Amino acid sequence: MNMSNINAADLSAMSDRELARAELEIARKYYNRFSVFMLVWGFGNLACWLALWPLTLMGVIPLWLAFPIATLNVILCYLPSHEAQHSNFARSGEPLRWLNELIGYVSTIPMVLPFKVARLTHMEHHSHTNDPALDPDYWVKADSWHQHLWQGLKNRQPGHSHPYAETMKRLGDEPFVKKALLEGAIQTLSFWAILTALAWSGHAIEAALLWWLPRHIGTSYISLMLSWAPHFPNPERGRYRNTRYFTFPLGNIIALGMEHHIIHHMHPGIPLNWNAAAYRDLKPILDARGCRDEAFQPSNLSTVQA
Amino acid sequence: MIGKILETVGPWGPVLFGFGFLAPLIAQIIERADVAMPFGLTPLMLGLIMGPALGLAAKLRGRWI
Repeated sequence: MNMSNINAADLSAMSDRELARAELEIARKYYNRFSVFMLVWGFGNLACWLALWPLTLMGVIPLWLAFPIATLNVILCYLPSHEAQHSNFARSGEPLRWLNELIGYVSTIPMVLPFKVARLTHMEHHSHTNDPALDPDYWVKADSWHQHLWQGLKNRQPGHSHPYAETMKRLGDEPFVKKALLEGAIQTLSFWAILTALAWSGHAIEAALLWWLPRHIGTSYISLMLSWAPHFPNPERGRYRNTRYFTFPLGNIIALGMEHHIIHHMHPGIPLNWNAAAYRDLKPILDARGCRDEAFQPSNLSTVQA
Repeated sequence: MIGKILETVGPWGPVLFGFGFLAPLIAQIIERADVAMPFGLTPLMLGLIMGPALGLAAKLRGRWI
């Protein structure tokens, strides 16, 4: 079937199965592409953040400049790992599998997100999107962006159990879950040990402004852009309605590419940097499926159909 | 074993954070700001009083903010 000259009337006449076949035909064009862009992004961003430490400690870069750069590094560190969570660099058994796992592990060092825990909880998010009981990201539901940020802060308080911890408990005591938890515990303890060592060796302010505070700010921004905005207001479930396309007033780059999040949920195997192209190609089918095409608004009261 | 360590130490996380990170952080901020200290305290002494105290308060309240 040639999708280039198909119109809305043709699509409305198609059966569910025909639409699914047409969708897959288009999506296949973007599958199994190795994203050098995401690879360079992951390693380049990590290298930049690591370089900030000697440059700041030696006085080459002032701390007031290093702080926003480190915050940007944390904001940017998640998405390459996200590609690895979906095995988009290489699947299990493929020659470059080691590279996929490497980037998954190292790219999120600035935000101290354990890779295996992230992968397991993210797969649960995909399997149960917008399910109040089973979606580990359902907590992001909030009527406005500032309510979401406040909720995120509350999740990080000592007396509060994080939804990811609850999800890991629910997944049981299978060996792969135990291994993920062990890796996560080692990574988290290492972070606190390094932070303490830096602080007691006279670099507490540098540690605070290059890692601790950027981690909090970056985590909040990532959660806002990658979870709250694409799923807002989280009322619906199902492949074509559980997330949306939205136009962000400051542009798709500031939105970390999340305007086309619906493509990611429909076809997680398409790397982030091809989501926009895939969206444009799939737009007629998305419209025929009744997918959400909305303008970003900062609160629940003002969401509008584009 | 790590799980047992975390179960034991975890609830005291805020106090450990107050001692391990906040105390030297407060001391070094005071030093850089060149603030005069009361009662003959050194910046590190003040940090060691304030950091763990803030951590203990966070542990008892179940929240930092």
